[in-house]
This record gives sequence, structure tokens and C-alpha cells, in this order.
Amino acid sequence: MASTIMDVAEAQKTQTIPPGVRRFLADTLYVLGPVVVCLVIWQLIAKLSGLPKVIFPSLGDIFGALWTMVVEGTLYSDVKATLGRLMYSVIVGSVVGTIIGALMGSFRSWERALVGPINFLLAVPGTALFPLTMIWFGLSEAAILSILMYEVALTVTVNTWTGVKSVDLSLIRAGRAFGARGPMLFLRVLLPAALPSIITGYRLGLSRAWRILIIAEMLVSASAGLGYRLYWARELFQTDVVYAGLLVVGITGLVLERVILRTLERYTVQRWGTVRELD
Amino acid sequence: MGELRVDRISKNYVVNRGFNSSTGLQVFRDISFVLEEGEFVSLIGQSGCGKTTVLNIIAGLDRPNSGAIYVDGKRVTEPGLDRGVVFQEFALFPWLTVAANIGFGLKSAGVPKPERMRRVAHYVELVGLSRFIDYYPNRLSGGMRQRVGLGRAFAIEPAVLLMDEPLGALDSQTRETMQIALAEIWMRTRKTVLFVTHDIREAVYLSDRVLVLSGRPSEVVLDLAIELPRPRDRHSPEFQELELTLERKIGQNRMQ
Repeated sequence: MASTIMDVAEAQKTQTIPPGVRRFLADTLYVLGPVVVCLVIWQLIAKLSGLPKVIFPSLGDIFGALWTMVVEGTLYSDVKATLGRLMYSVIVGSVVGTIIGALMGSFRSWERALVGPINFLLAVPGTALFPLTMIWFGLSEAAILSILMYEVALTVTVNTWTGVKSVDLSLIRAGRAFGARGPMLFLRVLLPAALPSIITGYRLGLSRAWRILIIAEMLVSASAGLGYRLYWARELFQTDVVYAGLLVVGITGLVLERVILRTLERYTVQRWGTVRELD
Repeated sequence: MGELRVDRISKNYVVNRGFNSSTGLQVFRDISFVLEEGEFVSLIGQSGCGKTTVLNIIAGLDRPNSGAIYVDGKRVTEPGLDRGVVFQEFALFPWLTVAANIGFGLKSAGVPKPERMRRVAHYVELVGLSRFIDYYPNRLSGGMRQRVGLGRAFAIEPAVLLMDEPLGALDSQTRETMQIALAEIWMRTRKTVLFVTHDIREAVYLSDRVLVLSGRPSEVVLDLAIELPRPRDRHSPEFQELELTLERKIGQNRMQ
């Protein structure tokens, strides 16, 4: 069935280049093309506009700064510190959020008790809690991590809760009819059925935590971290390091999103066909 | 094993009519019937007559306001693996393969894995999906999905199979193919089946007996034995006569 459709599609392509190679070349071109164009424009502005180096450094300066960071080892220690904080709080926050969300989606009493507080907390941006956590924990790791965990847990809670609540009733009935009840009904039917929504929660939680984390590292100056590096580069007027740092922040965020979360999604939700990838 | 006894079940709904005012709506009253072991019985009637509710009550997914259900003499009030349900909307688990969907009830029953796999393979073969055992439901056509639904219900080897318009969501051609497939599967297993449908032809083609549910509140207005040899010919005069009898009975009650 599916294979016959592909056969027809392949037969229609009479080009000499194999379709797999063609697709790969096209993909590469679409990804790299805009990047190269941006870099060229950047370099032209840096060289021709006459803007001072401290505002608009050339690509050579930026990549030079990046190379220095690599050689001195600060790049490694910064990325490691930032990712360590991120992973720790995303994991703790996700576990807490999944449990609370699951309880809210499964039991009316939990839902009724928590819906008010959750709605209030949703109206308070996580970053607004910084003064409070600084009073509680001082300028410490705990001040950063507590806010990240809070933000992730809240996001994951809401997504898990709505996900579990909106599971198709016919699936629940089928699960019950075929002998699943109580915790088993939850594990074998509600949880997998709600997984698309729960994974969306993890993705959202991670990207929110990522944003907050960079700010947090600027406010609560720890000893290492990408936000910390950006902040101190500005203090020292090292504009090239600021740009290099931003580049690293962007690339790290991209890798997190595309590699880790897309892979998770591909192996679960997409294979079941509950979420569709655009052609 | 496989006798189903429905004993004087009634169902009412409370309809809210705005503030502090509600009226009761009686869907059906004192419905009783018995399915003997190995019998294929259809329950037909117009939409809204409560036939699906009767099936849900027997499945334990809904509760009657009065009356009781007995499977092999034992009263049942909750869902259980002594009854296998086939749903109109298939209700397959999209995160499980064909094999795991069919094995779902066996897993609930705690059947150990080697035995489970053996039985799953048998029932996958019975419903004609051997080539698709590792597929996820989203890659199957409507007819194949309902074959999975049938396999899931047959695999637990229940005393009674309950089918709620199982072919109702299929196009007319697939539907006819599936009627033939279902008749064959039933001939091979000889299970007790309660089959809810609104399609008279389908009921006559498949059943040993047809119960007509009609009126408001509904009751069983006709209990018609279909004694045609199988496999049945839809175009034979006897077949068409039975169709006409049922059509008249349903139509007659519509007038009242």
C-alpha cells in the first residue's frame, strides 16, 4: 500500500541523481543558504559602514573571541554550568509537574483544590520571583534553580492536566472494558493518550527555563554560565565576546530543541501518528 | 459457557429544563431477553431507541436504573473480561501496534507473555491481519481497524461478545466485505454475540435471532428467528421476506 505509492512517486522522477541525494542537497541548501547570506551581509556592514568595532565587530573578531573562549576553556565551563542548571531543574520540575498534573487530570478533588492557585501563579511571571528567591537563598545557585524548577513544574502541570483531562472518552471506555482500572487505567491508557500534550509541556518548560536561565545568570552572578559571560563581557566592553556568547546561546538552544526534544517526539508521538509532521 | 440474561432493565435520564426544573425521560422499561450459548442475536431499532444504552449496560459501562444482567448465571455490574466489546468508533489504542492492541485484554488478565503472544498470533490470523501485526492503527484502513477491534474482543475469549454498530463507521462496500468476514469469524468460533445495528439487512444476514426495540419508552416488540442456512444469500426470496417483516414492524411502531 504505502510502498506502492512510493514506487509510483519514484518512477515519476526520471532524473539521474538518486532522489535521496537530491533531497539531502536541497535540505542542506535550504539550511545553509540563508546563513551564508546573513554572514556576508554582516561582514559587508562591518567593513563598509564605518561603525566602530565596539558596536559592530567583524566576523573575524567575533570568531576570534569564540576561539579564545575555546582555548581558555571558558566556553566549555560556561556551557557546562548553564546546561547543568537547565537539565537539573527541567528534570526535577518535569517530574513534579507531571505528578501534580496527572493528579489534577484524574481526580476531581485535586483539580478543584488546585485550579485557583495555579491560575494565580500563571499570572505571575517566573522572573518576578527573583527578588523573593534572592531574599530566601541569597545570590546562590538555589536562587536560580528554584525559579527554573517552579517555571518548568507550572508549565508541565498545566499541560499534563489538560492533556489527561481531554483524553478521548472512547479510549477510556475501551480501557475499562478490557480490564484496565485504577492505576493501570492511568498507566496503560490515560498517560500514553495524553503524551502528546505532556511532551508539549516538556518542550515549553524547557524553552521557558532556557530563557529565564540566561537572565538569571546575569542577575545572580554565579562563577560560570553563558548569561554570566554575556553580562561580564558587557561590563568590560568586550563586544566581540558578547556577540560570540549570543551565538553560543542561540546554537545551544537550537541543539536542545532540535536534537533532544525532536528525537523524543519522533520516537513516540509521531510514530503513532497522533501528531503530523508537515511535508 | 456463554449465556447472557438481561432481566427487566430500565433506564431513565433526567433532563434539566432550566433553573430548578427537570423532567425524567424513560428511554426503555423492563427489557428482558436471553441469549443462549453460541447464539448470534441482533438488537435493532431506530436511533434514540436506547439499543446502544442496553449494550453499554451489559458491558458494565453504564448503569441501569433497575434490573440486572447475568452472564452464565452470575450477576455483573462492572466491566469485565467475561464480555468483549467492539465499539462503533473502533476505540483502538493508537500508541500500540496491532498485536499489542489485540493483546491488551490478555495483559489485563495477567496472561504470561509467551502464552499471550501465541494467542495474539492466533487471533491476528483469525481476523486476517497477519501481515500487519506490527503496524500502528493509524496506518490501517477503516475496515482493517475494525478487524483489530474484533481481534481485541475475541482474544480475551469472553463468554459473550458485545458489538455496538461495529460496521456503522465504514463505507458501504467495506461494510459488506466486513459482514462476510464477521460471519466467517463467527462460524469458526461460535461465540455468543449481541450485535447492535440499525441496518435490517445486516441483522438478517448475520443473526440467528433479531430483537426489535421500539416505542417510547422502548420495549422488545418482536423476537424473530432467522432460520436460513449459512452462508446466506441476500437476494433469496426468503431473505427478502424476513427483511420486509422487520421493516414493517419497525415502520408500524414509528406510526404510533
